[in-house]
Amino acid sequence: MKHLLKIQNCYRIYFKGTIQIQAVRNLSFSMRSGELVSIIGRSGSGKSTLLNLIGGLDTPNQGHIWIQDKDLTRMNRTELARHRRYMVGMIFQSFNLIPSRTALENVSLALAFGGKGRSEREQTAIRLLDSVGLKDRMNHSPGELSGGECQRVAIARALANRPLLLLADEPTGNLDSKTAEDILDLLRKLNRKGVSILMVTHDQLGAERISHRRLQLMDGTIIKEEQLRSLHETG
Amino acid sequence: MKPDELTRIALGNLWRTKLRTFLTTLGVIIGIGALVSMVSFGIGMQKNVTAAFYENDLFTSMLVSPQQIDVNKAISGDMEGMVNALYEPPPPLVDSTLSCFQTFSGVVISFPEIRFPVKIRFAGNETRINIRAMPASMGQYKPFNDLLAGSFFKSDSQNTIILSQNILKDLNVKLKNRHIHHLTLEDSLKSTVLIEADSMIGDSLDVITSVVDVTKMTGFPGFSIKGHRRMLFKEIINPFQIGGIQKAGSGFEAPSMISGAIIPIQTAEMLPRVGFNNIWDVLGGKHDHEGYGSAIVRVKHIDHVKAVQDSIESMGYSVFSIMDQLSEMKKGFLIFDMGLGAIGTIALIVAALGIINTMVMSILERTREIGIMKAIGGSEGEIRTIFFVEAGMIGLIGGIFGLLLGWLVTKIANAVANMIFLKEMDFSVNFFHIPFWLILSAIAFSIGISLLAGIYPAARAAAVNPVEALRHD
Ligand SMILES: Nc1ncnc2c1ncn2[C@@H]1O[C@H](COP(=O)(O)OP(=O)(O)O)[C@@H](O)[C@H]1O
Ligand SMILES: [Mg+2]
Repeated sequence: MKHLLKIQNCYRIYFKGTIQIQAVRNLSFSMRSGELVSIIGRSGSGKSTLLNLIGGLDTPNQGHIWIQDKDLTRMNRTELARHRRYMVGMIFQSFNLIPSRTALENVSLALAFGGKGRSEREQTAIRLLDSVGLKDRMNHSPGELSGGECQRVAIARALANRPLLLLADEPTGNLDSKTAEDILDLLRKLNRKGVSILMVTHDQLGAERISHRRLQLMDGTIIKEEQLRSLHETG
Repeated sequence: MKPDELTRIALGNLWRTKLRTFLTTLGVIIGIGALVSMVSFGIGMQKNVTAAFYENDLFTSMLVSPQQIDVNKAISGDMEGMVNALYEPPPPLVDSTLSCFQTFSGVVISFPEIRFPVKIRFAGNETRINIRAMPASMGQYKPFNDLLAGSFFKSDSQNTIILSQNILKDLNVKLKNRHIHHLTLEDSLKSTVLIEADSMIGDSLDVITSVVDVTKMTGFPGFSIKGHRRMLFKEIINPFQIGGIQKAGSGFEAPSMISGAIIPIQTAEMLPRVGFNNIWDVLGGKHDHEGYGSAIVRVKHIDHVKAVQDSIESMGYSVFSIMDQLSEMKKGFLIFDMGLGAIGTIALIVAALGIINTMVMSILERTREIGIMKAIGGSEGEIRTIFFVEAGMIGLIGGIFGLLLGWLVTKIANAVANMIFLKEMDFSVNFFHIPFWLILSAIAFSIGISLLAGIYPAARAAAVNPVEALRHD
């Protein structure tokens, strides 16, 4: 089967004066369509940097990143924007919703960047919020929602333009354990419906519970890879 | 992204920081207001002057005079010109020449320009003026066809005088009108009288001329003139009737049209007087006159000016027409307008700096939001456009309200100016004029300057690094 994502000998190096910080160092791995892969590792091991590289927010100093057959490292800035818009959806530990916009407007903004017309935007946004269980809260602003609810809005937004891959950077990092469990359940549900997910987490057990595969990062590179279950098995 | 959504986002962002947006826009409003009122003043002035020229048919009149020796040419060494001028004196301007002018197509009238100093006396008050002579046929043309009271004289030889309002002032006469009903204290101290204009028509008025008293001329004339100047002249009182009173001008027309006093041309030639134009007239008595100093030729339409001017010049006369001055005048007004516009533009530049400041501030505050927009697929172009639209909105709203402000300012300033400068007049003047193109270009300029001010902030917003913007909470 073809790879959905393939990373080859990637480096992301920060230069601070004479000091070099290799946030991502000679990293390679690949992911298949339909997989849910989790990445674990200590703070500072380069997990977020890796996700930003795949998400097209950052570019590697060396190496290649392919999504389907397209090489991110050869894209110009406009193509990277299209990549962020249509190929990947990102969620974050701190949700990153726009506080002045309601749940509906936050989701709708992503659709607007996708070029959808007003009424289509509204319908789709309502359907997405419904699918994460927040239809009745759609006119609330992030300040009026709980952490778990905010993360659901963020997930709905990330899925708005039907991305090939959902990138989640510690999606449960700011949530209590019960809410975290619910979010992980939601991600598993989405994965079962066919959404490929790459998730960074500190939650070892949670990762074990829902992932097909688990990668461990240290000092910017993968030091351990475990197959937890086959792609066709469900967690 | 669709334009409607871009606009909605931009408006939403502006609305979120209402006070700041308002203050920034206020800067633009004031800038545009200043610009519009300044430029409309320049345009208004030009319009008034040109309109007054048309109104009084100034463009269709030209002043013809015998050619002068061109001093500049002589100094600069054009000997030929000077010698020619000396040996072949220019043709004089005589009655036959004037009738020749009349035969040119388009010419409606030509008459010698005669003016000489007299004293006039009315109801015990005297004033010195230069009286002018015109043929009765001038009565059919502006501004003489429309007098405040009475009418222009019908014959070239009657003893009738047409007065202007500034002469009445010199004669301590005030005209009753809808603004002036009674005299002020100051007026009464000067023993001014208040009269209805119509009631003055037919009143008698003395025109006092001076003649050389030949009986007193003895010995060397130069010496006598110097030593016994007063004794040489004697005054002659010529009784006239007031035929008409001219309307007051709006202040923009040539003074010659609306000031002074006018008498019929033959009457003027018959009046016993000393011609001060020519010293030999004084010393030797007046002989066969050697031509007029200048003459006025009037054509039917502005289009006739060029051809008639050329024909007269080819006869060896020099012609002055206001048409020649028109392009110079337009250039002058352009510079005037540009100066006023520059003042307004400075106000607008200050406003533009305000826009830059506001937008840079709001970008600093919204760095995270911009990062989010990039993360969910916003391109640099779209983010730049959002900020451009914000700047453009400020420009559009500032332009519209600035225009309103400018309009309001011109209305108020106009009312005040009319009250101060024309308080005793029977008419009002629009000192300001806002043509349609000014409305459009003010709004376009406002948007243009605002977009220009938005370039840097928008570029800065587009360049926000999303990784850094999203890293910290
Ligand atoms: N802009 C930056 N400049 C310098 N060093 C950075 C920058 N961003 C990240 N790093 C470093 O790169 C390493 C990996 O960071 P990160 O990917 O955020 O780690 P993790 O998400 O695994 O906690 C860290 O050592 C961090 O200090
Ligand atoms: Mg991290």
